[in-house]
Amino acid sequence: MRSYVCKRLLQLIPILLAITFLSFGMMRIAGSDAVLQKMENTGIVLSRDMIEQTRAELGLDRPFLVQYLTWLWNLLHGDMGTSYISGKAVLPTFLSKLPATLLLAVVSIGLTMVISIPLGILAAVKQNRFMDYLIRFCSFLGNSMPNFFVALLLMYVLAIRLHVLPVISNGVNGRSVAMPALTLAIAMSAKYLRQVRATVLDELSKEYVAGAKARGVRFSVTLIKSVLRASMVTIVTLLTLSIGSLLGGTAIVESIFLWDGVGKLAVDAINMRDYPMIQAYVMWMAMIYVVVNLLADLSYRLLDPRIRLGGMEP
Amino acid sequence: MKRMKTVCLFLLSLCLGLGVLGGCAESESSVERAGEEVSDDEERKTFVFGDTTFNPENEEPDVNPHRAYSGWACIRYGIGETLFHYSDSMEMEPWLAVRYENPDERIWVITLRDDVTFSSGRKMDGEAVKECLEHLVETHDRARGDLGMESIEAEGQVLTITTSEPKPAFLNYLSDPYGCIIDMQAGITEDGIVAGTGPYIAVSLVSGERLELRKNENYWNGTPGYDSITVRTISDGDTLTLALQSGEIDGAYGLPYASYAIFQNDDYQISSCATSRAFFLEMNARSAVTADDAVRQAIAMGIDKEGFVNTLLQGNGYVAAGVYPDSFSFGGDAVTAEAYDPEGARAILDAAGWVDSDGDGYREKDGTKLSIRWLTYPSRQELLLLAESAQATLKEIGVEVVIHSTADHNSLRVDPVAWDVYASAMVTAPTGDPEYFFTTHCLDASSANNGSYHSDELEKLEMELAATFDVSRRADLAVQMQQVILDDHAFVFCSHLKMSMVSQASVSGLTAHPCDFYEITADLAPVS
Repeated sequence: MRSYVCKRLLQLIPILLAITFLSFGMMRIAGSDAVLQKMENTGIVLSRDMIEQTRAELGLDRPFLVQYLTWLWNLLHGDMGTSYISGKAVLPTFLSKLPATLLLAVVSIGLTMVISIPLGILAAVKQNRFMDYLIRFCSFLGNSMPNFFVALLLMYVLAIRLHVLPVISNGVNGRSVAMPALTLAIAMSAKYLRQVRATVLDELSKEYVAGAKARGVRFSVTLIKSVLRASMVTIVTLLTLSIGSLLGGTAIVESIFLWDGVGKLAVDAINMRDYPMIQAYVMWMAMIYVVVNLLADLSYRLLDPRIRLGGMEP
Repeated sequence: MKRMKTVCLFLLSLCLGLGVLGGCAESESSVERAGEEVSDDEERKTFVFGDTTFNPENEEPDVNPHRAYSGWACIRYGIGETLFHYSDSMEMEPWLAVRYENPDERIWVITLRDDVTFSSGRKMDGEAVKECLEHLVETHDRARGDLGMESIEAEGQVLTITTSEPKPAFLNYLSDPYGCIIDMQAGITEDGIVAGTGPYIAVSLVSGERLELRKNENYWNGTPGYDSITVRTISDGDTLTLALQSGEIDGAYGLPYASYAIFQNDDYQISSCATSRAFFLEMNARSAVTADDAVRQAIAMGIDKEGFVNTLLQGNGYVAAGVYPDSFSFGGDAVTAEAYDPEGARAILDAAGWVDSDGDGYREKDGTKLSIRWLTYPSRQELLLLAESAQATLKEIGVEVVIHSTADHNSLRVDPVAWDVYASAMVTAPTGDPEYFFTTHCLDASSANNGSYHSDELEKLEMELAATFDVSRRADLAVQMQQVILDDHAFVFCSHLKMSMVSQASVSGLTAHPCDFYEITADLAPVS
């Protein structure tokens, strides 16, 4: 087990190198740079000398490879650089945004589980009855609506019509996280409850369920102790994928609700060609995907001891 | 089975309960909604202002006027004031100064008001202003270049500034937001908070998120109407709209055009004016097609500015004639531009030999199709609409428009073979002085003369403008210079940005100003 974890963590190094190099290159291919973007935003024309001087100060006048290797060298020395936009150190800025994103991710996942698992099971148990159709219709509706539209709809209903929640977040707290988390949970639940339904239906069609029924075991006991447990591997896989994307921040939802997380930070950085900040974000994303997938693999062992990790004997 | 139903019902109830709990968490807090806070607490009057522009991406990370464009936040939110300011008709007026003299082209003697104190409690005198301006030119590259100060001397309330060369627009530059006078002895905090002379004092700041202000009890020019003000950075236009609708904010700057209709009723007030941010076209003199005088003139006559402003911008703009809007003495109808005249444009192209010989709807000459490569960028919604509008109206006169909208326009615009027409937006008179646009865009030495435009007459007029101190003569020259570039059809000015601010009906004094510098003033107050 330990060597499996070490192996997976070592795989992170080439992944990080490749992904940071690619993102570094792609941002340059995208054209423009932080100096020109600032000029465009303010609508003020700078002299050529001033543009060149600012570029030189930021190191943007150097060849691409030199820029990348300098960034890598500094990173190995624990320096992720300074934001071109705010002028502040990248790492503390990035870390300061993480709690907000973590809170949003945890609450969203929690809400998603609370909504999608019971509704998915209910739809499966009531297959092809009114409740099943209703849940599937709601799921269809939720899947059809983009996040920003759900966000605006919730704002209109909950903030403007009912006055129960604020439109704009007022710091990282329970009241402010409710609406962005609900927005994300609605979209994810719409997707996952269909998966839960399909998985549960698949399990329900297996012989052990009929066997349990024949032995007189109560259906609810079979459902909770056998069917749900067997379905958990699929459900955990789905949720793991969500955690990965949620921890990367959900830029649109964060921007709409003024939720000050890493997603909003990343989008702003990309728009402004703030390369050091983009690199920090890319590294974070690579790490969470590797780590979260690793955790998911480990959890499979707990849920189903028959599963082997990386070809190792249990 | 019955137990299964119970379990499901329990889980469903849990789901709904958590949703409600999440929503109601901290609902017992004292602040429910900004609007209610004002009415509930009669002791303290608080104004909450939502703004899309106050953020590091816009070079306004804080309110320190000596940093990038943060001076805009400093002056807009009533923290700092400049020695001179602009009247509603964009004329210079003393503000923290009483008067000035200009005994020599390089010497400016400025007398300061005697009744002004900084929010730190220090009296604003010549020495304090000298310290501030010295720090400004030491730390702010743009200010150093603009002001060109050689020396500053202070004696009591009199300041004598010598510039390294004649600077006719010196007072305009002093009125730029970077010219906000701050107390350097009080210093600049790590968060970028400064002590100014305005009606409000910055108390706390979270960059790109919020700014808290409180009333300056010792303000020299009236009594501020609110006890405290919160400025919230709300980058998303729809969120800003909904926040104003829900009453969480009392005033807003930067609403999307589509939202203004929601607020055109008795519950809100809208204050609008034209600014010098212009949406305009530059013709590429090095392109074979736009080097043709007839083509340039036809393009100028083939663009329906009225339709663009009134239909596509839904009236949220002003039709432009020249470089500056009509709030400037040298703007608006002071110049004559080509009117929308498709018939006239067709006749000009016919006379120049551009005819549709193959019947495809587009003209040709010597086997070359009359096709315009239209370079623009997507970050300003108006520019894409302008491109589409031009594509439709120019097609009517037989000119094909191929739109190239890219974020990489800055590297393309310097490539002489990459485009024929470049459509962009810029603030043409950020300091209220006319010279800036010409020096940046139209002269041989201009850094943004993208189309390599050259006019002997314009170069000559600029030499005169650069040496002219008389304000009315400068205005005359600005009119002449605009007319030169318009007559050459080297530039086409399509519209000026309509700057609007919306406030709740319970608020008075949130008034848009043509220079876009002044927003929160001592006049801002709740309606009694």
